Amino acid sequence: MSLQVYEPMPGKLSSRFVEIYSLVKEYPNPYGDDFRVVEHFNLNIRQGEFISLIGHSGCGKSTVLTMLAGLNEISDGGIIVGNREISGPGPDRSVVFQSPCLMPWLTAFGNVMLGVKSVYPHADKATRKQIVEHSLSVVGLADSMKKYPRELSGGMQQRVGIARAIALQPKVLLLDEPFGRLDSLTRMELQDVILDILAKEKLTAMIVTHDVDEAVFMADRCVMMSNGPKATCSEILEIDFPRPRDREEVFNDPTFFHYREHLLAFLEQRSHIKGETRTYNGNNFIGYLDKNQIADLSQRVHVA
Amino acid sequence: MADSIKDKIKYGLLKGIDVSGFKVLDPPVRLAFGEEPRKQVGDIAKYMILPILFVLACLGIWTVMGPNHKTKSGEVPTPAKVWTAYEDNARFDERQQEKAADFIVEGAEREAVLTATTEELARLEAEAATLAEASDAVAATAKEETEALLAPLRARLDALKAEHEAAEDRREAEMNALAAEIVAGQAQPSALVDLVRENEILEDEANDAEDVIETQIKDILSDPPAEVKAAQMAANRVADEVQHYKKRIDILTKENRNVKEAEYLAKAEEDRAQLVAAEDPKKAVREAKSIARNAERAEDSKTQTYPRTATIFWQTKRSLATVFVGFGLAAALAIPLGIMCGLNRIFMACLTPIISIFRPVSPVVWLLIFQIIIGAFFPDPEKHPLFVTLNDEKWFGWIGNPLAFLQTNPAMIFSACTVAMCALWPALVNTALGVSSIDKDHMNVAKVLRLGFWSRLFKIIIPSSLPLVFAGLRISLGVGWMVLIAAEALSSSDGLGKFVWDEYQNGSSQSFANIILACFVVGIIGFFLDRIMIFLQRLVSFDDGSATA
Ligand SMILES: Nc1ncnc2c1ncn2[C@@H]1O[C@H](COP(=O)(O)OP(=O)(O)OP(=O)(O)O)[C@@H](O)[C@H]1O
Ligand SMILES: [Mg+2]
Repeated sequence: MSLQVYEPMPGKLSSRFVEIYSLVKEYPNPYGDDFRVVEHFNLNIRQGEFISLIGHSGCGKSTVLTMLAGLNEISDGGIIVGNREISGPGPDRSVVFQSPCLMPWLTAFGNVMLGVKSVYPHADKATRKQIVEHSLSVVGLADSMKKYPRELSGGMQQRVGIARAIALQPKVLLLDEPFGRLDSLTRMELQDVILDILAKEKLTAMIVTHDVDEAVFMADRCVMMSNGPKATCSEILEIDFPRPRDREEVFNDPTFFHYREHLLAFLEQRSHIKGETRTYNGNNFIGYLDKNQIADLSQRVHVA
Repeated sequence: MADSIKDKIKYGLLKGIDVSGFKVLDPPVRLAFGEEPRKQVGDIAKYMILPILFVLACLGIWTVMGPNHKTKSGEVPTPAKVWTAYEDNARFDERQQEKAADFIVEGAEREAVLTATTEELARLEAEAATLAEASDAVAATAKEETEALLAPLRARLDALKAEHEAAEDRREAEMNALAAEIVAGQAQPSALVDLVRENEILEDEANDAEDVIETQIKDILSDPPAEVKAAQMAANRVADEVQHYKKRIDILTKENRNVKEAEYLAKAEEDRAQLVAAEDPKKAVREAKSIARNAERAEDSKTQTYPRTATIFWQTKRSLATVFVGFGLAAALAIPLGIMCGLNRIFMACLTPIISIFRPVSPVVWLLIFQIIIGAFFPDPEKHPLFVTLNDEKWFGWIGNPLAFLQTNPAMIFSACTVAMCALWPALVNTALGVSSIDKDHMNVAKVLRLGFWSRLFKIIIPSSLPLVFAGLRISLGVGWMVLIAAEALSSSDGLGKFVWDEYQNGSSQSFANIILACFVVGIIGFFLDRIMIFLQRLVSFDDGSATA
């Protein structure tokens, strides 16, 4: 089987579709200086690109993602999506939350319809119904539309969550640890579902995850955040496996392990180092370093 | 296959039990389907049989202790007496219904009822006579026995009285003699004072001694033996029944609306004949007027109904109607206000002082305030269009007015307002809490889905706060029911409260039992109201994504 070569999106697709520049998030602290969670966060995302965001717990990954979603106020800096600076949630971005967050009083169909109604106020009933049914069947729930969340398993509930997000037909899909609570088999299934959708709809996406394998397998670029407070985008690892990706092949590729090691080593050794964003790819990734190398690196970064 | 149907029935039943909240019925159902019989039997023993035994024990203590406590309204009635009171009230209600039916029955049916009633009356009169005789006989023998008991007491009393009188005469003479000596200057005046004092003490002692015996006699007289009371009660009961049948015959033959109608029509007919035969023009006019009047009366009597007296059942219905009106008012105010409070912190801040100040106010104060305020709206309630329409029998044409039986009046309205005022707070506070404590994730979803204000409100906020709203409504209904009974007692608005108050005031032999009966009726209805609210609450609640809806 000859793998399809991954082609960058055609030229008309913007190479800076999402632009995050010197983003800052501050929480007010009544007993002292404001609490700066994120600072100097810069990142450009191409249209159709898939970014994974990893970092230690509490470093501010969700904060960045929710700011991008427009759910969290931006303290300073800004985010541009498709040539327009965002200020609040918009129809071009939709979110899949960690917990499915379905309305327990609505069926799967009703939950997906909830957003469709407000995003397509002028569509007639049949069209809306079609959109809802289509998105539910994309995630493989064509048979469970009339079920209430309580009648669905965790994985199925998250599928509804995904269907709800894609039914809005967004340009950017944001996922905050969407598979965090699922078992590994379901997780793999849903990863494939998401990858399929993204490939078909040519969506730009950002996923926050704690799972290094997931971060490597799914993303085009893996963004590593330094520890908070004042977390920044510390390193970026470009992952260049061709798409569509086959799980087995990717996992058996020796580079996969190097990518993986790079991320793990970052989390364990280098996540405290701040400063300019350093970019790595298949040619210059690094793994675990000894003490001197780390000291050297952190000095270099800080000097720079 | 058969198994699965059985299982379906079983789980259906269990679910019904769970939703309705009668958890105690769970083990018997499981036992009936043969699930872990040993455990179920244990559970039944623990959670059904023991509680039943406990209640029986309480009833036993009540039966034993009750009669020992004598009060102004007689001794505390035993459970059996309360049950009798219930039966009597039921019979009273039945009689009302019989009379109401007699009032409207017509034609051949009326004749049939009349014959049956007359026969029954004859039978009852015979029975009453025998019972009265028996009662008299029992009373006579009892009287002999009492007399036998009393004779020695009376004799002793007479002897004592004679003795005391003699002694008093003696002391009187002594005093007179001493007085004469003092006047003659032969004795000290202070001796007379001493003598008078001594005399008074002796007299008091004599009176006390007489009193003791007199009280004994009175006690015996005022407390006839149990069999006399029982015989009398039985006789009275049948005599009552006889009275009732006499009244029924009266209604059937005279007051019945069809009889009346026929009577008026006959009169009109008579008048018509006289009008035709009239020679004097004045007389003709008079007859014509009379025809018109009688025709009108006949028309009126066609739709008349029997004026029923209040029975405990009617009072219960009226209380229920009042509590639901009040509760509805409270809910209609509390839910929108609560939602606004939950949505808007400024609004909440504005309402907080009002809630904090008015919530602790006693229902009695509200009742008086509403009585004054609402009284002012209805200076002449009999003619006010609101009550005229509400109480109009023919409101819905031939179906009739289902609300007419309530006999709505201002008292009912201000009782309902008092209920509303007191039931308002729990629902309001809970609704506000439910709305303001809505899951942040759900709100985020709403933002991402870009729901507008109204769809946010109706699709997310209200559904997710419903469980708390219903929890509040449940408390409200409980509070409302409690407040209502007090309000009715105080304001003489018809209902169970008034029933209790009237019984307390009129003090017949059965009043105390009736009051305790009302206590149980109030309690049982309160219990069922609460059950209904629990059921509704369960219908709308959903715990961690597992709704029961
Ligand atoms: N409302 C708030 N007020 C103050 N501090 C907050 C607030 N919300 C979040 N934070 C702080 O911001 C920091 C980043 O939080 P965030 O949820 O973005 O972390 P995260 O990287 O997503 O962590 P995790 O991987 O555990 O989800 C945390 O240290 C948290 O304490
Ligand atoms: Mg997070």
